[in-house]
Amino acid sequence: MAGLSKGSLAALVALIVGALCLLLETTLPWLVKFPEALVVPATDWVGAAMTWLLQLIKPIARGFSALMSYPMEATNLILGSSPWILVIAVVTAIGWMLGGVSMALMAVVGLGFVLASGYWAESMNTLSLVAVSVPLALIVGGGIGVLANEYPRFRKPVQAMLDIMQTVPTFAYLTPLLVLFGFGPVVGLIASAIYAAPPMARNVLLGLERIEPEIKEAAIMAGGTRLQQLFQVEIPSAATQILVGVNQCLMAALSMVIIAAVIGGFDDIGWEVLLTMRKAQFGPALMAGLVIVVFAVIIDRMSGTLAQDNRKRYDARVAWGILAVGVIASAVTWNSLPNPSEYSAFDGAVDAVDAGLSAFTTANWQWLAAVKNNVLYFGLLPLRIGLDEAVLPFTWGFQWTAQWSLGLFAVGAVAGLILALRGQVTWGIMTLIFVGMLETGITNLPWPFVLVGVAALGWVASGRGLAVLSVGLLLTILLSGLWDRAMLSLYLSGAAVFACAIAGGGIGLLCAESPMAWRITRPICDMLQTIPLFVFLIPVLMVFQIGEFSAFLAIIAYAIVPMIRYSRHGLTETPDEMIEAAIASGATTWQILRDVRAPYAAPTILLGLNQTILYAFAMLVIAALIGTTGLGQLIYLALGQADVGLGISAGAAMAILALIADRMVQGFAEERRKVLGL
Amino acid sequence: MNDTPQAAISCQNVWQVFGPNADSALSEALSVHSEPEAAAAALREKGLIPAVQDANFEVAEGELFVIMGLSGSGKSTLIRCISHLLHATHGEIRIDGENIVEATPDRLIELRRKKLGMVFQHFGLFPHMSVIDNVAYPLRVQGVKRKAHLEKAQKVIELVGLAGRETHHPRELSGGQRQRVGIARSLVTDCSVWFLDEPFSALDPLIRRQLQDEFLQIQAELKTTIVFITHDINEALKLADRIAIMRDGKVVQIGTPSDIILNPVDDYVREFSKDVAKGRHAHVASVMEPGEGHVYGADDPGLRVDMTLDAALARCMDLYEPVPVRAEDGTLLGVVNPADLAAALHVEAG
Ligand SMILES: Nc1ncnc2c1ncn2[C@@H]1O[C@H](COP(=O)(O)OP(=O)(O)O)[C@@H](O)[C@H]1O
Ligand SMILES: [Mg+2]
Repeated sequence: MAGLSKGSLAALVALIVGALCLLLETTLPWLVKFPEALVVPATDWVGAAMTWLLQLIKPIARGFSALMSYPMEATNLILGSSPWILVIAVVTAIGWMLGGVSMALMAVVGLGFVLASGYWAESMNTLSLVAVSVPLALIVGGGIGVLANEYPRFRKPVQAMLDIMQTVPTFAYLTPLLVLFGFGPVVGLIASAIYAAPPMARNVLLGLERIEPEIKEAAIMAGGTRLQQLFQVEIPSAATQILVGVNQCLMAALSMVIIAAVIGGFDDIGWEVLLTMRKAQFGPALMAGLVIVVFAVIIDRMSGTLAQDNRKRYDARVAWGILAVGVIASAVTWNSLPNPSEYSAFDGAVDAVDAGLSAFTTANWQWLAAVKNNVLYFGLLPLRIGLDEAVLPFTWGFQWTAQWSLGLFAVGAVAGLILALRGQVTWGIMTLIFVGMLETGITNLPWPFVLVGVAALGWVASGRGLAVLSVGLLLTILLSGLWDRAMLSLYLSGAAVFACAIAGGGIGLLCAESPMAWRITRPICDMLQTIPLFVFLIPVLMVFQIGEFSAFLAIIAYAIVPMIRYSRHGLTETPDEMIEAAIASGATTWQILRDVRAPYAAPTILLGLNQTILYAFAMLVIAALIGTTGLGQLIYLALGQADVGLGISAGAAMAILALIADRMVQGFAEERRKVLGL
Repeated sequence: MNDTPQAAISCQNVWQVFGPNADSALSEALSVHSEPEAAAAALREKGLIPAVQDANFEVAEGELFVIMGLSGSGKSTLIRCISHLLHATHGEIRIDGENIVEATPDRLIELRRKKLGMVFQHFGLFPHMSVIDNVAYPLRVQGVKRKAHLEKAQKVIELVGLAGRETHHPRELSGGQRQRVGIARSLVTDCSVWFLDEPFSALDPLIRRQLQDEFLQIQAELKTTIVFITHDINEALKLADRIAIMRDGKVVQIGTPSDIILNPVDDYVREFSKDVAKGRHAHVASVMEPGEGHVYGADDPGLRVDMTLDAALARCMDLYEPVPVRAEDGTLLGVVNPADLAAALHVEAG
C-alpha cells in the first residue's frame, strides 16, 4: 500500500467497494436500492417548516407586493401606452449616447423587428418587469457588495451565500415566492430581483477589493471621511467592474423574468413562448423566441459598452435630435397609428416556418429519428441503466448476457493491467471502475459505491474536508428519498457535460490553432451566452419533440460555450518562451501540444469545465419543461402544486450536486495551478 | 541639521506586527523577552511578521529624514505607522508633541486635512478625476468652495511644472508627470509634515534625477519636515539631512550621510555604501582631528571643514604631513593627515 499514490489509493478503495457491491447485489438488494424504511420524510418536514415560516412573513410580503405594484403599474402604463415611435426614439437616443451609430442602428432595427412581429405589447410588459426589478436588484446587490467590503468579517459568509444562490436552480426560487406573494407578476418581479442581485453584489465587492491600495490610502491621507472616501474615490475607481455587474444584473433579470412566465398570470413575451410551445405552434414560438433574443442582445450590448475602458463620447445633440423627431412624429401620428399588436409583417414568414418545419420533419423523419435513436440506444440509455439492461434485441440487435458482462470485465481488466504495468496505476484502476459503471448504469449504481467514490474523489481533489462535506451532503439526499431522482439528474447532466467536454474541448483546440475558426466561432459563442435559457428549448423541441434527447441537446447547446472559450484561452496563453524552448529542444507540433501547451492550459480548461457543469445544471432544470425525469421535473411539479417542501428539497438537492461538482473541479484546478507554480 | 527644541516627529519603541492576534502576541513576547531581537524572534517563531521592531528616532522640524533599506525591510510599514495608515501595534508616535497612536478618528481626519501630506510609490492617483481635480481633492473633502480650491490647485500645479495639463486624466500622463500630480496633491493643503514613500522609485533614472532636483528646490522653498523613503543609497545621500537604515524591521543605524558612509555599523550598511563614490558625500570634518596642540607641516593647502573628501584630496595630493583645516573666516579648527583622507576613500577595500 505504501507505494501507491494518493490517487491510486483512492481509486483502489472505490474499486473494492464497487466490486463488493456488485458481488453482493443479489444477496443484499438494499445495497442498490436504499431501503424505503430508512428514508425520513424530510420533504414534509421542510415543507412544514417553510410553510410556517412563510405564513409568518406573509403579511409583510403581501404588503411589499402591494407596494411594488405601484411602480410596476406605473412603468407598465408608461411603456404600454407610449406610442411605439417614442419608445423606439428613446431607446435609439440611448443607443447613440452609449455607442454611436452602431448602437443606435441596432436599436432601430431590433425594435423595428419587435414591432413588426406583433409582439409589441407583450414585449413592453416584459420590459416593464425588468425595468422595475433591475433597480431593486442593483440597490440590494450594490448594498450587499458595499457592506461586505466595509465589514470584512461578513465577506466570507456573503461570498458563500452568493455561491449557493448561484447554484440554486431558478425554478426553485419560484415556489416559495408563489406561496408568499400569490399568483401574479410580482412573483416574477421579486424572483428576478433575487436572481439578479448576486452578480451585482459579486462585482461590486470584487471591484472595491481590487482598487489599488495606494488609491485608498491617498483618499485617507487627503483627509476624507469614510463616506467621502467610499463615494468620491472608491466606487468611482471601481466603476468598470461595477458596470460589468450592472450588465450581468440586467441579463439575469431578463432571463428570470422570462422563466418566471411559467407561473403565468401576466401577458408577457415568456408566456407567449410557453403558450405557443404547448400548442406545438412552432412558428409563433420561434418568432416570440427571436423577440426575446433581440431584447437580450440590445440590453447586453448597450450595457456592455458602459463597462468598456475609455469608451468614446458621443455628441449629446444628436440624441436630443433623435428624441425630438420621436416626439414630433408621435404627436403627428397620435391616434392614427394602428394598435402595434396588429402588426403582422412576419405572419407569412411564421406560417412558412411552420409549414416548412412540418415538411422538413416529415421529409427527414427517418434520418432524424435515426440520429435520435442512435444517441439514445448507444449512448444515453447504457449510461443511464447500464449495458446489462440497455442491450436488447430491440435496441442493439442482441441480448446482453452474463457472459457478455464477464467478457467486458475481462477486457477491462486486461486494459487496466496494461496501463498499470506502464506506470499509470491510477488510470488502470479507473478503467476498471469505468467499465463497471458502464455495465451497471449510473442510476443503478449501488449507493455505498457512489458515496465512497465521491469521498475518494473529494479527498484527491482537495483533502479530507471536501470528502467529509460531500458525503455528508449526499447523505441528506439519500435519507430524504430524493436519491433516485438525483442520480437521474446526475446521469443526464453528466452525459451532457461529457459531450460538451469532448466537443467543446475539440472546438477550443481548433480555435486555438486557427484564428479563422475563432473568428467564426466567437460571435456564435457570444450569441449563445446572450440568449436567455428558455429560448434554447424552442428549436430542439421543434425538431425532436418532447423527451430526454431534446433536453440533452438543449443542455449541450447552452453549456458548451465556456468549455470552448476556456480551452481556447488556456491553449493560447502558453508563454512564447516556453514554446520556443520546446521548439529549440526539437519537439514536434504534436509533442509541444501534448507536453507543453496542454499541461499549461489544464487549470484554465478545468475552470471552463467547472463553468460548463454549472451551466448544465442550470439548464437541466429549465429542460424539465420539455421532459426530463430528474430533480428538475420534481422542482417543476412542485411549482405547479405550490408544494414548498418538495420544491425546496429538490432545489437543495440540485444545489448540492452542483456545489460538490464545483468544489471538486476547483480543487483539481487549484492543485494543477500549484504544480505549475501559478 | 538645525538644532530645534522640540522634535517634529518622535517615535518611541514603535512595533508593527502582522498576523492573527498580533496585539496580545506582542505584549506577551515583550513581557517575556527584554531584548527586542529576542521578542521578534519569538514572534517569527509563532508565524507572525514583526515588520517594524522597536523603532526609536526623532525628526527635527524642517529636517529631511530619509529611511533606507532593501525591499521588504519594513520601510513602507514604518512610514504608514507614522502617518497612521496603519495603527502601530505598540509604541508612541508624536507629531509636534501629539501622540497620534491614540488620536481619535475625527482628530486624525483633521490632522490629515491640516498637517500631513503623503506621496506614494505608484502615485495613487484617482483614475476618474482630471489632474486638477486630483490635486484639489484634499481641499474638496474639506468643503472648500470650488472656485477657491481650483485656484489653489492651479498654483500648486504650476509649482510642480504641470501647467497646461490640468484637464488631462492620469492615464494620459507619463510616469514622471503622474508623480508630479501626486506631489502637487500632497502639497495643496500646505502640510507641515510630508511623507514620501519611494516617490521616484518607479521612474526612469533620468526623470528620477530631474524630479530629485526639483524636489530639493521645493523643499528649500517650503521648509517642511520630511520623511522620505528610498531603497537607493545615492538618492538617500543626495537628499538626506539624516538617514535611518532598516534591515528586517530593525533600524540598524541612524546618521548623517557621511556617518553612514564612513562609519557603517555593520556589513549590511557597508554593503550599501560599497558602490558609492565616498569622496563626493563625506566631508573633511569627518576625518579631522582636533587642532589644539597638534603639529602640522608648513604647507597650508587651504582645507575647509565642509569640503568633500574628493576636493580636499585634490589639494593635498603630494603632501605627507598633517595639514591645517580652517573655518571660512580662517580660524584653525583642526588638522588632517592626507593619508587619512586617502584611507577614508578606500574603506571598503580594507
Ligand atoms: N498587510 C500586511 N500583512 C502581512 N504582512 C505584511 C503586510 N504589509 C507588509 N507586510 C510584510 O512586512 C514586511 C515589510 O514590508 P514593507 O513595509 O512593505 O517593506 P518595504 O516597504 O521596505 O519594501 C514584508 O515582509 C511584508 O511581507
Ligand atoms: Mg515599500
